[in-house]
Amino acid sequence: MSRKIAAFVLAAAAVAAIAGGITGGITARADEFTKEDLARWEQEYMSVVQTGRELWTSPSLGTNGVACAQCHPNAANTHPETYPKFQQQIGRVIALRDMINWCIQQPLEGKPLALDDPRMVAIEAYVAYERRGVEMAPGKH
Amino acid sequence: MSRIRFLWLIAAVFLCAVSARAAETPAAATPAAAAPAAAAPAAAAPAAKVPLGLPPLPVPADNPQTPEKIALGEKLFNDTRFSSTGTVNCATCHVPGKAFTDSPLKTSEGIHKLTGTRNAPTVVNAAYMKTQFWDGRSPSLEDQSQHPFVNPVEMGLKDHQPILDIVRSDPAYTAAFKSVFGKEGTAITMDEVTKAIAAFERTQISAGSPFDQWYFGGNAEAITPAQKRGFELFVGAGRCVSCHTIEQTQALFTDSRFHNIGVGINTIQSEIPALAGEFLRAKATASEVDKKVLTDKRTSELGRFAISRGFDDLGSFKTPTLRNVAVTAPYMHDGSIATLKEVVVHYKNGGVTKETDPVNDFLSGGIRPLVLTDEEVADLVAFMEALTSPEYASMAGAGGTK
Amino acid sequence: MIESRVTRREFMKGAGALAAASCLPVSLVELAFADERQNFTFAYISDAHIQHISGTKFVRNWDRGLIRAVAETNLMTPKPDFVVFGGDLAQLGTKAELDHGAEMLAKLNVKYRCVMGEHDYYLDLGKYWSELFGPHYYSWDHKGVHFVVLNSILTYDDWTHNRWPTAEQRMLEMAGLDNPNGSPFMVGEAQRKWLAEDLAKVKKDTPLVVFSHSPIQKIYKGWNFWTEDAEEVQALLASYSDPTVIYGHVHQIQYNQIGKIAFHSVMATAWPWPYPESYAQAQAQGQIQFPKLTVPMNRADPFFERDATGWQFIDVASGRTTMKYNLYNNTNRVVAFNTKTGQPEDTAFQDQAGRIEPQIHY
Repeated sequence: MSRKIAAFVLAAAAVAAIAGGITGGITARADEFTKEDLARWEQEYMSVVQTGRELWTSPSLGTNGVACAQCHPNAANTHPETYPKFQQQIGRVIALRDMINWCIQQPLEGKPLALDDPRMVAIEAYVAYERRGVEMAPGKH
Repeated sequence: MSRIRFLWLIAAVFLCAVSARAAETPAAATPAAAAPAAAAPAAAAPAAKVPLGLPPLPVPADNPQTPEKIALGEKLFNDTRFSSTGTVNCATCHVPGKAFTDSPLKTSEGIHKLTGTRNAPTVVNAAYMKTQFWDGRSPSLEDQSQHPFVNPVEMGLKDHQPILDIVRSDPAYTAAFKSVFGKEGTAITMDEVTKAIAAFERTQISAGSPFDQWYFGGNAEAITPAQKRGFELFVGAGRCVSCHTIEQTQALFTDSRFHNIGVGINTIQSEIPALAGEFLRAKATASEVDKKVLTDKRTSELGRFAISRGFDDLGSFKTPTLRNVAVTAPYMHDGSIATLKEVVVHYKNGGVTKETDPVNDFLSGGIRPLVLTDEEVADLVAFMEALTSPEYASMAGAGGTK
Repeated sequence: MIESRVTRREFMKGAGALAAASCLPVSLVELAFADERQNFTFAYISDAHIQHISGTKFVRNWDRGLIRAVAETNLMTPKPDFVVFGGDLAQLGTKAELDHGAEMLAKLNVKYRCVMGEHDYYLDLGKYWSELFGPHYYSWDHKGVHFVVLNSILTYDDWTHNRWPTAEQRMLEMAGLDNPNGSPFMVGEAQRKWLAEDLAKVKKDTPLVVFSHSPIQKIYKGWNFWTEDAEEVQALLASYSDPTVIYGHVHQIQYNQIGKIAFHSVMATAWPWPYPESYAQAQAQGQIQFPKLTVPMNRADPFFERDATGWQFIDVASGRTTMKYNLYNNTNRVVAFNTKTGQPEDTAFQDQAGRIEPQIHY
């Protein structure tokens, strides 16, 4: 009797193992997000891009009324795909947000944003969005 | 084998196979351990060792360094017979013990204590400059040294003949020239003389300052907190680093370019149209320019414009290195600013020494008023004091730590 | 007249030099000229964008640009025959900005004439501007050349008069180059009619130079590098022997040849703009018709506030214009008409092989 039970347990274990193997392991499961999730998350993202656009055209990031969009219409000529790179104006290799802060301080004569400020994320989101589709070229001048 | 045992065997094999696959899957998700193809740039052939913080030393192919040539150059550098009064040599204004300047003189004194219009730049690290002189009128170390000999307020010779006469006949020189250049008698020209002097000057390089030890050497204690704050200002609100360059692995503190920062030119603003026109009409040769800019203060203030005649260069002078700046007062091309604090205040004011002075129309676009507190001004000064190399650390004015 | 002994190499290096300004033998830029009387120079300063912050404070950066351009123009010897200000003196068209700009222009030691820009116009439709500078469009003759100034930044009446609740709002909307609420520039029917009548009195072999703020071409609509009735205006000029259009607004070097008409943009004294192709989405969607001839100017270093800004002096020889761009922190540029190829060309960099790094990188 115990032998039959053992055999059954063994077979069941084997089946479970096979089933687990097909889905990638017994313990790990992939995300299963839906089309609605994707649409909603895209919207969340675009709302931040929109905030970034508003900051981009706003005279209030600096103290002299100059806005990013004055020299960078549609965030042109910001080249986010080249960061991190050696930035001659700062003397070392930096990330995009460091250059955004440099511009806020220098041409806009304002106070730099904290690196984890949500406004910084919004600005980066807008800059990257306007540059979508361009190949990464880190370090390039 | 019994059936039960066979089933055990199959199950065991299966379980093993499955668990092996499960273990594989996450591993496959991580990137391969191998480095990407073009990982590190190919290591350059190691050049002669330079102090911490400097890039490899540029040496022209037609003037390689040798110990004998360097010794000959040093001898020429110190020879007072190459002046009309027999009392002035290169070391008169470029004093080795003073980091090769004549600090605290504002403008240098040549024969008969005649003064010129410009402050003697240091020879230390001049080998890295793309041009020589405050207005870059000399394209190389080799070219530069011939000019002071024949300048009326420096060595005052009418031409180079007296020098050639000496080096061609003085036994203290003839053997060296023969050995170094394979030349003797009239084959020895100013070309050989200036090459030897340049070779000597090329050995005057220095870095390894407290800043270098901190920034490139990774020694967190090498500079003070004030100096660290000063560094952040230097690359940030102080707007210094664009011209006084620091890079990721070395720092020359000069971009070798020319900028009008509002020194000297502020005093001749209303005369610029007349001066510039007059200068163009004269259409001087290179050596005439050399004499004119050192003897006529107002022309001197035209700066690089006297050489290039470009509007962009009106009143502009070469960015000097800041290495050893704390011991090479006074500052600017005319020595008109006495202390580092006053220098920082000049920049803080946006290109005027007295806050109420008018800014000149041709000011560099990089210069504008800075928002700095008094403490921040002091921090910037402290930072500059950290740029003194160990060999000059005992000079007056040297600051920094350790 | 100062004898210039500037060699060709020195000229190329320092094309802004005083003595080179106007007494350079024209053969140096390879133009054949028939009649010495017709050779003259004028200076062109444009797009100052004087921007008011509050009280007596203006954006220093733009102020310095105009101050410098005026100071350098005053150094030119011999003096240029006249100076043109190419539009956008103010940023938001306020009295304070126009007055501050006019104060700086008053320092010119040569008479100047003004072209209207959209930043000058859309607050009060050019009313105060006219009090300072005169009519919005006009013409005159000088040494055998017929000059015309157009107000080419008008737009549809509905947008101008009905769309916005306040004048300030209207000005703000037009001030954003990339603002989707903007409206395309045009010369408009009334002015085209005036132009036709004005030109009717001009002989067909008279050299013709038109000053305009917008490009009288259709380059990129998204940034209003655009004139809606470009073809109609071009048609009016095309029957003349040497028509040239000089335009501002774009804050960058551009040049083009369409049929008989040569087009040249001028620099801004305030700040440079990116080339439209650097806006990846417009480039990807094929929305840009950029003059292919143009050798781009260098990308600006934003630390140096005058980088990639400048002003220009223009040689007119037998009706053909040679543009000499005086750029700060950059090699000066000369764009001259090449009679062999029949189009304007950069005298140093037109050939790909001659380009320098900043012109072929970003």
